[in-house]
Amino acid sequence: GGAMSFLKRFPPPAEGVRHQQPDTEAVLAGRTLGAGTLYIAESRLSWLENSGVGFSLDYPTISLHAVSRDLSAYPWEHLYVMVNAKFEEEETKEAPMAEGEEEEEDSDDDVEPIAEFRFVPSDKSALEAMFSAMCECQALHPDPDDEDSDNDYEGEEYDVEARELEQGDIPSFYTYEEGLSHLTAEGQATLERLEGMLAQSVSSQYNMAGVRTEDSIREFEDGMEVDIAPVVAGQFEDAEVDH
Amino acid sequence: MEVSHSVKERTIAENSLVILLQGLCGHVTTVDLRDESTATGRVTNVDAFMNVRLAEVTFTDRQGTVSHLDELFVTGRNIRYVHIPDEVDIRATIEQQLQAIHRVRYFGGRNKGRKEFPRSKHK
Repeated sequence: GGAMSFLKRFPPPAEGVRHQQPDTEAVLAGRTLGAGTLYIAESRLSWLENSGVGFSLDYPTISLHAVSRDLSAYPWEHLYVMVNAKFEEEETKEAPMAEGEEEEEDSDDDVEPIAEFRFVPSDKSALEAMFSAMCECQALHPDPDDEDSDNDYEGEEYDVEARELEQGDIPSFYTYEEGLSHLTAEGQATLERLEGMLAQSVSSQYNMAGVRTEDSIREFEDGMEVDIAPVVAGQFEDAEVDH
Repeated sequence: MEVSHSVKERTIAENSLVILLQGLCGHVTTVDLRDESTATGRVTNVDAFMNVRLAEVTFTDRQGTVSHLDELFVTGRNIRYVHIPDEVDIRATIEQQLQAIHRVRYFGGRNKGRKEFPRSKHK
């Protein structure tokens, strides 16, 4: 028989690997490719046989993936991945085919090609984690060709989100001017009271980033907690606030 | 009812019918795929890009072969239709989802704002 011609040698992904599952068999259209390691990385899905050859799949080509535990359908629990692409299997002999038609091929040239992969881990309990990691990575690759949706949402909301991301895990908060303009009269009064107390307090008790200790939270029952939640500039503009 | 943590995704959802699909979480429904296979299962998540996650799925491939999958994730791009179950009140579902988004966005009320905070202590 011939080798699977799409298998190549490449180093395992080093970055953004959300999940890695060793001792995993890869099966294409019912044919085993051997045992190896599955790498679920943010950029692509890769599988490398223990010998060092393998293949990668780009998320935009993956139509769906699933956890299959139905042993009557396939004898081992596995991660099923359906890909919108053609993968060559064994190199067929150069038999002349009439008119370029392929026998036993139930898909026309118009219909999109489908390749079915199964990844069978020796550790079945890992399937949940493998599935979830793939969901997360898929979500990182939304369809760029999406004609239906007009996702050009301009405006302040996006700028704020970008700023939030830049700040890492520090929650974003209003600058003084922005925040002040969005407070109601009650809110402003509360803010002044809090600032007054901050000025008086021992510095270690309160954190300027808005972190509160249990005591301070109890004390400021009705405080506008402007510093903790990630707030969006402009989000109060048409709020109907009942106080 | 779950609302995305992403400002952008909430805005996309609010401005498209994806918001209706997000309201189907917990319901059993059928999704028709572009290649004419179908998947029937309980909706566990729909994101702003219409990626749908289903649990306890009966999957019928384009040849008609039926199999059962514990969990299925299908990309929005590959979905042709999502059936809305009869018991779902479409208008009410959309309104509930919009309210959920607005609760997240406009946390001006006293106690509502407090519930939004995942943790009161930072490290």
